[in-house]
Amino acid sequence: MDHSTHSTKESGDIPIPMTDSKSSKASSPLMPATTNKTAKQPPVSRLKRGLGVVDFILRICAIVTALAAATAMGTTSQQLPFFTQFFRFKADYDDLPAFTFFVIANATAGAYLVLSLPFSIVCIVRPHIIGARLMLLVFDTIAVPLVTAAASAAAAIVYLAHNGNSNANWVAICRQFDDFCQRVSGAVVASFITSLIFVVLVIVSAAALRRN
Amino acid sequence: MKPAALQLGVAPPANRGLAILDFFLRLIAIVGTLASAIAMATTNQTLPFFSQFVRFRAKFSDLPSFTFFVVASSIVTAYLVLSLAISILHIAKANVVNTRVLLLVLDTAAMGLLMAGSAAATAIVQLAHNGNNKVNWFAICQQYNDFCKRVSGSLIGSYAGVVVLILLILLSGVALSRR
Repeated sequence: MDHSTHSTKESGDIPIPMTDSKSSKASSPLMPATTNKTAKQPPVSRLKRGLGVVDFILRICAIVTALAAATAMGTTSQQLPFFTQFFRFKADYDDLPAFTFFVIANATAGAYLVLSLPFSIVCIVRPHIIGARLMLLVFDTIAVPLVTAAASAAAAIVYLAHNGNSNANWVAICRQFDDFCQRVSGAVVASFITSLIFVVLVIVSAAALRRN
Repeated sequence: MKPAALQLGVAPPANRGLAILDFFLRLIAIVGTLASAIAMATTNQTLPFFSQFVRFRAKFSDLPSFTFFVVASSIVTAYLVLSLAISILHIAKANVVNTRVLLLVLDTAAMGLLMAGSAAATAIVQLAHNGNNKVNWFAICQQYNDFCKRVSGSLIGSYAGVVVLILLILLSGVALSRR
């Protein structure tokens, strides 16, 4: 006679298939299949989901600022109303290599951000995923120095353009090219904001990567 | 990984290896940034000719971008030296999550600062080497040869520091995700 099956039928509970007595004493009974598993999210999942939402919103803000910086710098062109016989006084963004690099770097950062939006959505939907988060961390870590470099190189040139440098005999061109300077300075500010947002994105990814 | 090996306070071997690598990378970064700060700060070239009123001299403090570069490099070097202590703590103890996140945050800030300084100095060095016809800026490297060489060389050290800091951040991220 098999005692284990006899006991389950006597009690009148849901017939849970139990193994032989030795192993059944060691293991705890299996839960019935009717438990609602999605009734309440554990707090860790909610925290990671919240961080994912913050990440997504910050990415959208960074797209706006990066593309604004790139277009503001890329559409600069000021021509002074006077000119000599041989020379036309015009200032473009591609007169200075630092500004060209600035436009390229910010456009690249904007494109990367747009492409990373689906991964960010995946991190919201599945809060415990590691691969996508780690990949976002890697690329965000590369994007921080790229955008910072572009912003600060352009800032150095803008500072020179505003103040000149008597030791090197460099003339402050902003006195003549007014609109050009204002536009370029605004683009530099937007790029610094983008860089700050990238730093925050790295921190958010790192905080969400922790295994609790 | 067998469950028996994951006891509290004992680092899985992979994380300890990462922590040791972290420590050595920090040492390399300290050397790089310190060398570049010193190389830039000791620039001083006087041209052999001078007029009655003006002496032709080039120092790092003549250009504000270079001053910012020296300051930023020094701050990052000091931070890296202080963070060696936390790095040693990570080698010794395994399950300290909060200091790892803190170290990652501070590493990111340091990398941003160092990159800003390096890029500003690079922009000025590029101008000094090539000049710019459109805005009538003269290439001063044609006269101040030694000054330019020294300044360009110091930039190499700081870019190496930036690359090492990026690697440190990635290491911290991988170590965080592995626990």
